[in-house]
Amino acid sequence: MTPEVVLEVHEVSKTFGRVRAVDALSFSVARGTITGLLGRNGAGKTTTLRMINGIFLPDAGAIDVFGTADAAAVRDRIGYLPEERGLYRKMRVMDQLLFLAEIKGHRPAAVKGRAEAWLKRFDLWDKRSGKLEELSKGNQQKVQLIGALLHDPELVILDEPMSGLDPVNVVLVRSILKELKAEGRTILLSTHMMGEAEKMVDDIVLIHEGKAVLAGELEQVKSSFGSNTVHLTFEGDGAFLAGVPGVAAARVDTNVAELRLAPGSDAQALLAAAVGRLRISHFEIAAPSLEEIFIERVGAGAGAKAAEEVAV
Amino acid sequence: MSKAIAVLKREYLEVVRKKMFIIMTLIFPFLMAALMFVPTLLAVKGIQGKRVAVVDGTGKLQAAFGEREPTPAEQPASRAGKELSKRAESQPGVRALPLKTDYVPAAGDVKAAAQPFLERLRENDGDKRDRLDGVLVIPSDAFTNTDAKLLYYSRAVSDLMTEERLANAVNRALSRERLAGRGIDAAEADRLLKRLELEGVKVSKSGEEKKGGELSFLVGFIFAALLLFPTMIHGQEVMRGIVLEKTERVVEILISSMRSFDLLSGKVMGLALVGLTQIGAWLAMGALMAAYTGGAALVAGVNVFQAIDLRVIPWFFVFFLLGYLTFVCIYAVGGAISNSEKEAQQFMGPIMMVAMVPWMLAFPILQNPESTLATVLSLVPVFTPITMFMRVIVSEPPMWQIAASVALSIVTVIAFFWMTAKIFRVGILSYGKRPSPAELWRWLKVA
Repeated sequence: MTPEVVLEVHEVSKTFGRVRAVDALSFSVARGTITGLLGRNGAGKTTTLRMINGIFLPDAGAIDVFGTADAAAVRDRIGYLPEERGLYRKMRVMDQLLFLAEIKGHRPAAVKGRAEAWLKRFDLWDKRSGKLEELSKGNQQKVQLIGALLHDPELVILDEPMSGLDPVNVVLVRSILKELKAEGRTILLSTHMMGEAEKMVDDIVLIHEGKAVLAGELEQVKSSFGSNTVHLTFEGDGAFLAGVPGVAAARVDTNVAELRLAPGSDAQALLAAAVGRLRISHFEIAAPSLEEIFIERVGAGAGAKAAEEVAV
Repeated sequence: MSKAIAVLKREYLEVVRKKMFIIMTLIFPFLMAALMFVPTLLAVKGIQGKRVAVVDGTGKLQAAFGEREPTPAEQPASRAGKELSKRAESQPGVRALPLKTDYVPAAGDVKAAAQPFLERLRENDGDKRDRLDGVLVIPSDAFTNTDAKLLYYSRAVSDLMTEERLANAVNRALSRERLAGRGIDAAEADRLLKRLELEGVKVSKSGEEKKGGELSFLVGFIFAALLLFPTMIHGQEVMRGIVLEKTERVVEILISSMRSFDLLSGKVMGLALVGLTQIGAWLAMGALMAAYTGGAALVAGVNVFQAIDLRVIPWFFVFFLLGYLTFVCIYAVGGAISNSEKEAQQFMGPIMMVAMVPWMLAFPILQNPESTLATVLSLVPVFTPITMFMRVIVSEPPMWQIAASVALSIVTVIAFFWMTAKIFRVGILSYGKRPSPAELWRWLKVA
C-alpha cells in the first residue's frame, strides 16, 4: 500500500533578484511521517517552507497540499513555526496563543484549555500572563511552537524547531514530535543539525543551492552509501588515523572518528593499527552518519559534484 | 471574516490598553483648551499690568484717563469673556481702560514734559514701582490740527491691543471736548457718540437665524482639530504596527493564516474603532465641560450652545471616519513599503504635511466657507473630509457638494484600501528587496 501523500512539491523554482534560491525542487511528504528538509545555511530551506505556506509564490512549478494547489483552502490545517520569532513582543503569552488559534479559525474560548495544557507541559505556566519580550529566547521558541500546534493541525511545518532550546527542551520537543507522529500527523521540519535530524526523521530531503541532491527514507539513503565506514570511539590522540593505509576519507574529532574505507581495504587492519596507539572503547562498521553524508554531499567543494548528479 | 475580526480585536485592545492612549484621551481636551485660551488670557493679562504715562499737550483730557482701576468683573478671562467685555466697553459711562495710566497735563512744551517719562521708559529695569511700559504723547494742537498725530512710545511696538485702546480713548475724549466746545453737555455728547454694536447673524435655508458668529468660528476650529488629531496620532500607529510586524516576522504567521485583505481590513477597522472611541470620549468630555461652563456663560448672557448646531454631529462622525480611514490607508501603504521604522519615518513627514493642509487653511476656509478655495478644497480627494466638515459647521454648503464630498471620500478610501491591500501583500514580505514590476503584477492578479 502506498502511503497517502500530504504534500507534493513539483519542479518549484524561486528567484530573488539574481539569486536562484530554489531551483526546480521536487519532493513529497507522506502522511504520518517526519520529514527532514536538510541543507546548509542559504540552501533554500526557508524559502521552500515559505512557499509551501503560501507566503511566497513560486516563480515556476506547483505545490499541492492535501491534494490542492489552493493554499487558502487548507491553511487552517497547517501549523507553521517560522525560522525567526514571529510573535508580538508586547503581547501577553496567553493572549498571543489565543490570537494565533483565532486566526486559524478557532474560537479563543474553545482552545483555552488546550493552551493551558501546553503551557504546563512546556513549563511556561507561570509565565502565561507575562509579555513575550520578558521571556528568554528558548521560552519564546516554546511559545511559538505551542502557537504552531494549538489549532490541532494535520500538517506541522517547523523551520529550525530546535533553535535556541537547551538539551532538556530539545528532548521534550523531540518526544512531542514523535507523539504527534503517532497521532497520525505529518511533520516537515528543516534543520542543519544532522545529529538531531538523525534521531527523529523518517525521510530526508537534502537540498543544496536550491536543488535536491538526496532524498528518500533515511535508512535507505544511509545504506546506499554502503557499510564501509568505521565508527571509532577512543582515548588518546587520533590524528594519525587519517594516514592509515586503506582510509579513503576521515573525520577525526576528540575521542571519536568516522573513517571511510577505500574499496577492498580491510577494517581489521585499521583496528590493529589503532589498537597499538589508542585505547579503543567502541568499534563499529556501519553506514556513514547523516553528518558524514551531508558533508560529503554539500560540504565545501561538493557544490560542483552535487550539481552534476541530482539524485533522488 | 472571523479572522479579520480577530485582527480587529487585537489591534483595538493593543492600542486602547496603552497608557499613552489613555493619557492622551484624558488630557487632550485640556491641552486643546489651553492652546486656545492661554494666549488670549496672556494677552489680556499683559494689558492689565501695563502702566502708561499720558502726556497731554492740550491739558483737557484728564476725564478720560486714570481715574479708576478696572474692577475684577471687567477683566476678561476667556474668549467668551472678551466678547462680553467688548460689549461692556461700548456701553456709555463705562470707559475704563484695563491699563494703569499716569495722567500729566502739559500745556505748552509737550516734548519737555514728556522727556522725563521717556527717560524712565528707556532706563526701565529693576524697580517695579517706577516701571513704565509706554508713554503716550498728545500734541497740544490736537484740537486744531487735523493732521496732528498721537505718539505712543514703548519698548515693544508690537503691542497693537494697547495702542488700539489708547487711540480709542483719546479720540473719544477729543470728540467729547469738541462737542463740549460747541455747548453740548457731557450726557448729550455721550448720546451723540454712542457706538452701536454689530452682531453676526447666520441665515440658513430653513429660515432659522443664529447669532454668535465668532463662537461658531471657534467651534469650527476646535472640531477641525478633533477631526485631524486622531488621524495624526493613530495613522502613524498603523504604519509603525505594520513595520513592526515585518521586522518581528509576525507577518509570516499572519499571511500564512489569512488573506491580506482580511488582515488589512481587520487592522483598519480596529483603528477606526480606536479613533471613534477617542473621539467619543472627547465629545463626551466636551459636552460635560460645555454643560458646566455653559451654565456660567449663560449667567453672563452668552449662549454657548447657540454656536453649536447639534445637526452637525452626525456629519462629524461621517467626515471623521472618512478622513481617518483615508489617512490610515495612506499610512498603511507607507508601512507596507518600508523595511524599517527609520524608513517609515521618511514617509511620516510628507503624509502629515498633506493631512495638515486643510488645517493650515482653516482660517480662510472658516472665514469664507463659500469661497472658491474652500469649495475646491472640499471637493479634492484626501482634503475633502475635513474641509467639507468645516464648511458644514459655519455655513450651509449645497447638498450636492456634501454628497459629492462623501462619495469622493468613499471612493478614495476604497481605492487606497485596494491599493494598500495589494502593495501590502507584495511589500510586506519583500525583506530588503523591492518587488519587481513583474512580481508586483503577479501579486495583483493573485492577492
